[in-house]
Amino acid sequence: MADNIAPAFDAFHPPEQELIDDCVHCGFCLPTCPTYVLWGEEMDSPRGRIYLMEIGLQGETMNDEMVRHFDQCLGCMACVTACPSGVQYGKLIEATRQQVERRHPRSRRDRAFRALVFRLFPYPRRLRLLRGPLRVYQRSRLGALLRRAGLLDRLPERMSAMERLLPTLGRMEAVPAVTPAVGQRRRRVGMLTGCVQRVFFPEVNAATARVLAADGCEVVAPPGQRCCGALSLHAGREAEAQAFARAAIEEFEAAGTDEVVVNAAGCGSAMKEYGHLLRDDPEFAGRAAAFSARVRDLSELLVELGPVAPRHPLPITVAWHDACHLGHAQGIRAQPRNALAAIPGLEVREIGEAEICCGSAGIYNLVEPKPATELGDRKAASVLATGADLLVTSNPGCLMQIRTALERRGERLAMAHLAEVLDAAVQGADPRSLLDRR
Amino acid sequence: MDRQALIRRLESIIGPRGVITERNQLRTYECDGLANYRVIPSVVVLPETAEQAQGAVRACHQAGVPFVARGSGTGLSGGALPVSDGVLIVLARMRRILEVDLDNQRALVEPGVLNLQVTKAVAGDGFYYAPDPSSQQVCSIGGNVAENSGGAHCLKYGFTTNHVTGLEVVLPDGELVHLGGGKAPDPPGYDLLGAFVGSEGTLGIATKVTLRLLRKPEAVRTLMAAFDGTDQAGDAVSSIIGAGIVPAAIEMMDALAMEAAEAAVHVHYPEEAGAVLIVELDGPQAEVEHQFDEVERLCREAGSTTIQIAADDDQRALFWKGRKSAFAAVGRISPDYYVQDGVIPRTALPEVLRRISRLADERGLRVANVFHAGDGNLHPLVLFDGEVEGQERRAEELAAEILYTCLDHGGSITGEHGVGFDKKQHLPRQFSAEDLDAMQLVRCAFDPEGRSNPGKVFPTPRLCGERPGPRQAHPAEQAGLAEVF
Amino acid sequence: MGVQDLEREGLVRPADGAFEVDGVPAGLVARPGSVEEASQVLRAAAQDGLAVAFQGGGSKLGLGNPPERVDLLVSTAGLDQVLEHAAGDLVVRVQAGARLADLQAALAPAGQWLALDPPEPRATVGGVVAANASGPRRLRYGTVRDLIIGITVVLADGTVAHAGGKVVKNVAGYDLAKLFCGSLGTLGMVVEATFRLHPLPAAASAVTLQLETAEEAGEAVRLLGRSPLEPSAIELTWSGPGLPARLTVPFEGIRPGADAQAAAAAELLGRVGEAAVLGPGETEFALAQLGVLPFEKAEVVVKVAYPPAELPAVLADLRAGPLLGQVRAHAGTGVLWVASGFRDVRSLATAIGRARERLAARGGSLVVVKAPPELKRAVDAWGPAGDALGLMRRVKERFDPDRRMSPGRFVGGI
Repeated sequence: MADNIAPAFDAFHPPEQELIDDCVHCGFCLPTCPTYVLWGEEMDSPRGRIYLMEIGLQGETMNDEMVRHFDQCLGCMACVTACPSGVQYGKLIEATRQQVERRHPRSRRDRAFRALVFRLFPYPRRLRLLRGPLRVYQRSRLGALLRRAGLLDRLPERMSAMERLLPTLGRMEAVPAVTPAVGQRRRRVGMLTGCVQRVFFPEVNAATARVLAADGCEVVAPPGQRCCGALSLHAGREAEAQAFARAAIEEFEAAGTDEVVVNAAGCGSAMKEYGHLLRDDPEFAGRAAAFSARVRDLSELLVELGPVAPRHPLPITVAWHDACHLGHAQGIRAQPRNALAAIPGLEVREIGEAEICCGSAGIYNLVEPKPATELGDRKAASVLATGADLLVTSNPGCLMQIRTALERRGERLAMAHLAEVLDAAVQGADPRSLLDRR
Repeated sequence: MDRQALIRRLESIIGPRGVITERNQLRTYECDGLANYRVIPSVVVLPETAEQAQGAVRACHQAGVPFVARGSGTGLSGGALPVSDGVLIVLARMRRILEVDLDNQRALVEPGVLNLQVTKAVAGDGFYYAPDPSSQQVCSIGGNVAENSGGAHCLKYGFTTNHVTGLEVVLPDGELVHLGGGKAPDPPGYDLLGAFVGSEGTLGIATKVTLRLLRKPEAVRTLMAAFDGTDQAGDAVSSIIGAGIVPAAIEMMDALAMEAAEAAVHVHYPEEAGAVLIVELDGPQAEVEHQFDEVERLCREAGSTTIQIAADDDQRALFWKGRKSAFAAVGRISPDYYVQDGVIPRTALPEVLRRISRLADERGLRVANVFHAGDGNLHPLVLFDGEVEGQERRAEELAAEILYTCLDHGGSITGEHGVGFDKKQHLPRQFSAEDLDAMQLVRCAFDPEGRSNPGKVFPTPRLCGERPGPRQAHPAEQAGLAEVF
Repeated sequence: MGVQDLEREGLVRPADGAFEVDGVPAGLVARPGSVEEASQVLRAAAQDGLAVAFQGGGSKLGLGNPPERVDLLVSTAGLDQVLEHAAGDLVVRVQAGARLADLQAALAPAGQWLALDPPEPRATVGGVVAANASGPRRLRYGTVRDLIIGITVVLADGTVAHAGGKVVKNVAGYDLAKLFCGSLGTLGMVVEATFRLHPLPAAASAVTLQLETAEEAGEAVRLLGRSPLEPSAIELTWSGPGLPARLTVPFEGIRPGADAQAAAAAELLGRVGEAAVLGPGETEFALAQLGVLPFEKAEVVVKVAYPPAELPAVLADLRAGPLLGQVRAHAGTGVLWVASGFRDVRSLATAIGRARERLAARGGSLVVVKAPPELKRAVDAWGPAGDALGLMRRVKERFDPDRRMSPGRFVGGI
């Protein structure tokens, strides 16, 4: 290759040496890194990846091997939780990915697949167009037939990964532009309806709005909102992510809300980083920082406000799954547990190896299906070991990923988003409404 | 055998997935937990079984190539520093717990199993593995065996060497032998297990390890006592030991170490405290209750300003998290630092701390002290800024001076981090040439060609063909190839 | 300087038939009074090619195989000083010839002891190290390898070498102290050792359990191992097949702790059989009994080491043949001493061989610790030393290339 002698990074926002220097090479991150857990290789650990960044800065070449190890990072941020030295790995890997996307020639196939993903997922309208054919496909059991005939396995691995992950679609349920608060209004909050969430899990958004309203929030869901840019940001598509971020900021500024509530962990984490993402944009830098400061995860806001609506008993056992972008990236662990514990009769069980990612990780399970599958299997086993009736989490990606992994084992487990469980408790719904699903 | 031929041979033994030869990938293995020294290995292999590990060692032996074993790469003395023409054998994929036998209180594990994993595997049955180095969440059992790792609770329970009862070892020529009795005590013959544990990878590679499991104590009580300074805290330690109490652990941190740990884990150390002690007692309920009251009283008598008692497991975990994160957390208050590891007789503590502080002042540097106060194992952290001209050199000097101070007081240059590459030039200050030659006898019995982790622990290799006796210059030394430090 | 020169200086003298090691008479004897003298003696012996054996209190001279020859027997009796007792550091440095009992007496005023309780009353510190002698309380404190932190040895060529130090925590250099533990004078002479100490327990309370069967003993050991109780020892005494047995379980520490544990243990062991907490006088008597050398009068004594959970199975293994007589076991650690009746060499040798096979399958071993010369000629005292024997031989060759240190006494003819 002609660029073999070029150093790995160019001068535009390479991973910062100062942030790399924070790493003291202690290795505490290793056992929480999903790829290290799988392969036991230094290059596929956070410490190893930071080392690769460092030697890249020193002039080593960005070759296929180096890129491979960056690509294989799930961006789960478990290492950030484990790090005693406070290394900001998130910033490092994002900077690195932007360099990789700009500078590393990918194979045609890889490029085509990534383009497909990024032309599809961040766009609710395009996703929605897919819904119709998908529902027909699923109802016709064509998928099962094809699978049985082994035809699906002949699809490229990544395409079949995408097929397997798609959830069974229910009725479309839109969230109104404004949902009034029940009783006295305590807050006026904006709500991100998201892209994947909106199209594939509309009922989660509906539940989120109801719960917020029940606890005294007027919920504004700007109908013009687009993708928050999380998928692009976490994949190193900086310009794309910035465009999404600017649009989101403008949209919610116009709505004039106190906080912006997010019910998808990956989105919340990305929106809390807008300040950093737009730090070079003179027009947006300040606005982005202010916006990020107003972003709240659903559980975060509910616990901050304290419940108003009484919770009806739900005599069920739930396993709480910490989505990486909630627990590791946002440090939100106690709040969802507290929110669940406030429901009478409900028992929360911890999942073993909770800190290890389920393999979903944004688009990771689409672009790196193999490790994602192994991690999904591992997570499914830990989830089943809890013996809980219901798996609860707060990220659509995790739900799809774990459900697929359970299916591979021939197991089924009811799953719900935190918002749906809280909604059921607030509405006084029959617990079977949660347990009978899927 | 040239490199390519060796690579092909290794691939045939381990499979291509377990052999790393690409430069960028190799470079991530060029240092362990001590990043001051870096050497790119020729090849890295990741065996998944004892047979593969044995095959790799045999291939090295046949090719006349040195090898270095590595576990999680968390060592702090450069013990797993590669050799440039050698093979780095990484045991991280050998991580199965092969057997747990609670009635005989033993577990058989592969060397890549992480220390804390052992405890996790048996905790549900009320057992645990006692040695608890601060890096226990990541360090491997194989690494613990090589380093004879300690930890905070070694004061009462001893070190790795007291908790390993059997080893399967690949000798440097590829022979597989079993050392120690495993489940049965007192095997006939020499205690080669005792010689192997702590030999820092220079005698071969452990491929299976039998560990002693302990029953969790009935009661555990932990307190954190704050003092105006380390002198008062040291007095408290003396009176606790003097009262015939053997705590599970007594740890001390000075103000600077607290500042760092606070930044990392928010323990809420008492403000303005000059030192804190963490004292943990464990054992039978009645005994612990009684002695805990006494410890509390003795701390107060020694001048403790505030005493916090861990109310539950979470708070105890927080006390310990602060302590165990302290090394890495110093990265938050200083751009660079050295972690030093030395031992003194515990009674010399106040004097040695004063001397360290004087030495630091002379060089205009700061030293944070974190240590296992019960057994006199100091971990002074020498803070410096590599960007400032001359600071790094002064810090190095200070770190060495601290070791010499330990030796002046009848101590040791390392209590748990090992000699490795980092301290080998200091070893002759602690041991005479005759002492080191006697140790070489063991080395030569295990590894006559000196291929297992060469260049570590001992400053000057004596060729194994030489007869013991009055020391003569090494042929390599005479030829100007090696240097006596 | 050769040995003759030392004879002139009075450092070495003829044994005159008064000294022997396991039936092998010594030619010369030496009693160095300092490390330097010990070094001189061994250097002279090296020059003259003499085979050397060592003697401390003399209680373990019958251990192992008879040496091939003893040209010179070196006694440690002249090296009997407690060199340094750092009470505040819980450390003692002592010469090899010091009697363990004298050492304990010297430590007691500080409320400390070296936590080793081998039953031999004459045992010296060096002898305990060289023979790896242990007693009932090894359950709680470990054996000499677990307590030794530093050592000074004189090697075969007279070189004085140290390892370890006088601090409890120390990982600098190889741990030669452990290598010398149990090496029975085949690597060199132990002249000094440094140990970590423990506080003397202030109070003791003991429980006894009457046993009918080996299975009950096994169950009792299992229950104690699974409980959080911390006994100092679990001792089984059994007068032989067909006779009742007793388990003695002492708890030592401070009064409230020892009493509470004894009460809990009595309740726990009550599930197995008749268990009782002993009264103060009885406890003292029971503890004294634990310290007594078992079977002093027996002609044949074997030591069996086994995984502790396999006690009943091991007793069943031993029951076949004439091997099984009186039994005393450190049941918590998996060591049992058996006094066998001596009838004829052949049947005993066969029984030992068979027992060794069965024990080897369990990972255990059988060592003949006491036997008349005719039995010693028929069986190896140690039995197989496993696949590391070749490595042990290489270690021996490095330390003693001329094979003069207690030749033939150790495993595999070392």
